[in-house]
Amino acid sequence: MISEKDTGYRKNFSLIVTFIVLISVVFVLSLFLAFNYSKKNIENEFVSAKANVLEESIKPYNDFFFNKLPEISYYNGFLDSATASKFVDTILLQYPFVSKVVFYDTEVKNIKYEENGLNQGHFAIGMKSVYQFGSLVPKDSIKLFSASEGRNYAETEDFNASALKIINFLQKLDTAKVPNQDKLFSSFATIRSNKIDYFNIPSPELLKTYKRMVSEKLDSDPIYQQDLLSFELDPSKIKIKNTRPLLYQHIKIEPITYDPLDASEYITGEISLPGAFSEFKLYFISSRSFVKKEIFSYFLPIAALLLLFYGVLVLVAFLIYRNLNINHKMFKLQYDFLTNLTHEFKTPVSVIKIAGNNIKSAPSISEREQKLYGKILDEEADKLNGLMNKLLAFTQIENKAITLNRDEINVAEFIESTIDVHCLKHPDFDFTYELDGFKTLVTDPVLLGSLFDNLAENAYKYSPVNHKKLHISARLVKDRVVFRFKDAGIGIPSSEINNIFKKFYRIQNRYNQNGSVGLGLAFCKELVNFMGGEITVKSVVDKGTEFKIVLPYNNEL
Amino acid sequence: MPLPARCSVFLCDFLSMTLAKRYILLVLGTLLLACSRGNKVPEIPVNDFFKSQDRATYRISPDGKSLSYLKLQDKKQNLFVEDIATGKVVQLTRLREKNISFYSWVSNNELIYYKEKHGDRFQSDLFIINKGGKDERQLSSNEKTRMRVLDDQLMDDKYLLILSNQRDSTVSDVYRLNVRDGKMEMAAQNPGNITKWITDSKGRLRMATSSDGVNEKLLYRENEGQEFKTILTNNFKTTLFPVAFAEEKPNTVYAISDVNRNNSALVELDCLTGKEKSVLFSNDTLNVVDAQYSKRKGKMAYVVCETWKKEKHYLDNDAKVLYQKLDKLLAKAEVRVIDRDKSEDVFVLRTFTDRNPGSYYLYIASNGTLKKLSDINSSIKEEEMCEMKPISFTSRDGLKLNGYLTLPLNSTAKNLPVVVVPHNGPGQRNTWGFNAEVQFFANRGYAVLQINYRGSSGYGKNFYAAGFKQWGGKIQDDIDDGVQWLVQKKIANPQRIGIYGSGFGGYIALNAAIKSPKLYKCAASNTGVLNLFSYLSTIPPFFRSNLQMYYEIIGNPDTDVDYMRQASPIFHAEKVNIPIFITQNTKDPRISASDAIRFVKELKKRNVPVTYFEREDLPFGMGREESRQKTYAALESFLENNLKKK
Repeated sequence: MISEKDTGYRKNFSLIVTFIVLISVVFVLSLFLAFNYSKKNIENEFVSAKANVLEESIKPYNDFFFNKLPEISYYNGFLDSATASKFVDTILLQYPFVSKVVFYDTEVKNIKYEENGLNQGHFAIGMKSVYQFGSLVPKDSIKLFSASEGRNYAETEDFNASALKIINFLQKLDTAKVPNQDKLFSSFATIRSNKIDYFNIPSPELLKTYKRMVSEKLDSDPIYQQDLLSFELDPSKIKIKNTRPLLYQHIKIEPITYDPLDASEYITGEISLPGAFSEFKLYFISSRSFVKKEIFSYFLPIAALLLLFYGVLVLVAFLIYRNLNINHKMFKLQYDFLTNLTHEFKTPVSVIKIAGNNIKSAPSISEREQKLYGKILDEEADKLNGLMNKLLAFTQIENKAITLNRDEINVAEFIESTIDVHCLKHPDFDFTYELDGFKTLVTDPVLLGSLFDNLAENAYKYSPVNHKKLHISARLVKDRVVFRFKDAGIGIPSSEINNIFKKFYRIQNRYNQNGSVGLGLAFCKELVNFMGGEITVKSVVDKGTEFKIVLPYNNEL
Repeated sequence: MPLPARCSVFLCDFLSMTLAKRYILLVLGTLLLACSRGNKVPEIPVNDFFKSQDRATYRISPDGKSLSYLKLQDKKQNLFVEDIATGKVVQLTRLREKNISFYSWVSNNELIYYKEKHGDRFQSDLFIINKGGKDERQLSSNEKTRMRVLDDQLMDDKYLLILSNQRDSTVSDVYRLNVRDGKMEMAAQNPGNITKWITDSKGRLRMATSSDGVNEKLLYRENEGQEFKTILTNNFKTTLFPVAFAEEKPNTVYAISDVNRNNSALVELDCLTGKEKSVLFSNDTLNVVDAQYSKRKGKMAYVVCETWKKEKHYLDNDAKVLYQKLDKLLAKAEVRVIDRDKSEDVFVLRTFTDRNPGSYYLYIASNGTLKKLSDINSSIKEEEMCEMKPISFTSRDGLKLNGYLTLPLNSTAKNLPVVVVPHNGPGQRNTWGFNAEVQFFANRGYAVLQINYRGSSGYGKNFYAAGFKQWGGKIQDDIDDGVQWLVQKKIANPQRIGIYGSGFGGYIALNAAIKSPKLYKCAASNTGVLNLFSYLSTIPPFFRSNLQMYYEIIGNPDTDVDYMRQASPIFHAEKVNIPIFITQNTKDPRISASDAIRFVKELKKRNVPVTYFEREDLPFGMGREESRQKTYAALESFLENNLKKK
């Protein structure tokens, strides 16, 4: 035998083991890294997601600030207490963080205010009336001040601050240019801690008039309307939207200086609120175990994914190993076949060679010798021919290179002729048959003949000397023809029974030490399949074997 | 029309190919195809609709011998004088950077004109020039003041009455301008509330109207030595305007008046008592909108009444003969007299129809010759334009409403896409005549519906007053009712109705988008009003005296805050859900720029499809034509996307 190494085939078992070990190491390593990554990531997110919470929570405030406040300007100063009250009601309802609104109905004119107003040159801005609105404001104290009642208003601080801002703005105003919106907004809106004061922004034309009113007294004694709304805000009423409830256990609104002592047991974070709430911050607090849970909930899907990937790799390795194994067995079978075939050919060839030599070296040949050698040469040549035909037929059938002929045959005659041929060859062969239910069959006679010959050969070959028996029974069962070949031979061990139809497979026993290629039953199976039938086997060791062939029955050409 | 011409070409081909008989079928097929396309109206470029004439402001010298006009040269208007008899043309001015905004004959040989620099609204230089182009003199060059000629007849061969605000920029005083040396002396000082001055046939200042915004007063004096005395006081809802002094009757003035009646009539007014002396023309259904006084004959010639169309009712036989002759010469067209000479023999006429922007004609009555001077817009072909038909329907509260319907050419009045075009306001109306915008829409295949909603002028004072403080209310209902009427008539495809307007028309369009989003598929506002508060607060100082009147028509921001909030689109951006088209003229002092931007932002935030344009339209701006083209092209595709596609 040629060593396996020389044929280029190796056992890759160690390679596969190495591979499995390697990917296992990588798997464990990646699990470790993934966990570390998850931890880092969650810790980072604890910092970065704060902005998200802030953005979501402060949205109503921004909406109020950027959309609702400018609506005051739409009224161009014409708000009165009734409309202001309605306007404020919608605000109080929509924005719970607005706790109270003071509405200053304001007038701009050329006549100086002694009280309740500010003057700059001839520009005078003063309160006509003041109202307050809010859920906690009692009904009887809505009106705080009215100029017509002749009282003075004490709390002028908010008003004066805003009015002063306008006056400053007017002094710097360049009437040749259109003032830009940002500048206007910042001049007419005052943002303080928990408070926003907003004056309606007059049109550029009106601003020019105001500017003129500072330096000169207009003939028309104009009175222009301005509205100042002062919003008192309550940061504790801001609705916190925890966008990451699994990350942040608690979020609180705390003064900017808030810094508790026991914070080290927790993971904490803070972010300051914008605009009028700038003295407050959002304070985020989570216990360590809480965060750990979040880390695991982040890590587990990654781990599952890694495991899946690892599993697939292992599966692939296993499949490769299996394929290699099968290929290895196949190779061995083919190798055996080649050896057997060589052996098979060698016997007749050496007999022919000896006969040839004998004829060549004998000075004269007697008639008996001539007949003997002639018979030997003829027989061996037949053997070689038979061998080659068998090989050829097998390859043809396997490759479906032949076509099925359809002839009507008389089954009894057919079996009898087979028995005749074999009994002629082996006079000690006890070959019987029975036929039941049908007489003729449409099939390919050549293929059926091959099938019968092969099975008969096998039955003879694998039977002990005194038990060379074969009984063929042919029956029609429903629409199928069933042939049973029952011998009294050595039988097939049940461990081998699944392999006997495989190509090049030979049971190792004394009956086939020489003169078997291991093709016979594989060939039979191919034949039966080709004819559209099935072949099965039942066997008991030392008792005998029964092959059962089922062919479709049709009696029409 | 080009297509029938193509048909005839095919016909010639067809005859020349009589031998090749097998081609006959093929050719016939082509012929049929080509002819059937003849039904399709060619799409006319946007700018063709809006082209303005290159010659305008025709005037005739008092002696009727010379014709003058302004002609556009390199985007500047220059003054030309043509001798009617010989046809000789003299160019009087060669302007580089200024425009002539007004000119007038002051004698048989002399003209005065203002040069104005664009943008400087009240700055004008006054010049006088000989009709031969000689002796040009500058009469005034006051940089800061506005000047207007009050009466173009020259007194004592040298004095001209002009209005000027040189004393106080917010009021116009009357001055006597010596055209020989440019000196001005005050003829009457305006106490601040005078809105109109009226001279008699001799050019003497004898009547004036004053207003405190709500009430109008008629003031009279018998001669220039006296003080003006109030003879009549009326609410602004009432129309009373003097047409001319009756020359033969002392202290009598002809006036169009609806005092104590719903529709305006032409009356004789006693200037001493302020009482009506007699009614010259009155009708329960007709509304007098104009009247013509013949200075030569010293008589009222005719009154003009407007129903769906303006019609003359003659009060003088000679006038009747003259105008009926004209009507025969210019059949079907509406004729306006632009100018006439002193002897009322030579006339400059302007004609128009609904399908034709019209032309200027020179008519000499004595020999009956009519000569075409120029077309208003030569790009418009009458046969490609669409007819504007009067319609009327009853509103949900039983008011009879009038309007106009313009159907696309060669269309069956069935299931058409419709553009509703509410007119600007307040106190305006749609009239019959050539309307470039309407024709543009009709040419693009839309039926155009115009409605004179309540509050429109010309249907009597009750109808006018019915629109007060109904912005966003019953006015809106009137428009919707008109659309429903059109749907019931099966003319409109209820799935393809859009609304477009400018100014208060744009305001109505946006309110329609807010209040009736099911009725309209899209709304377009061209420099529309968005906020009534802003509208009122941006009324310029020289209109301040009218503020009370505006308060009554639109709403009083001191007492009607709620109503005005309800009626202002800017407060209701969250209710708009149909595609919106908005343009805004950033140079328009009446519209608050930030309002529109805010409105558009709000819509965009809610993913409402918005087309927004900023324009900088100036009366003589260089980019005006491009800006207009851009706007209308965008409007066209906006309407097409929303009204024509599936």
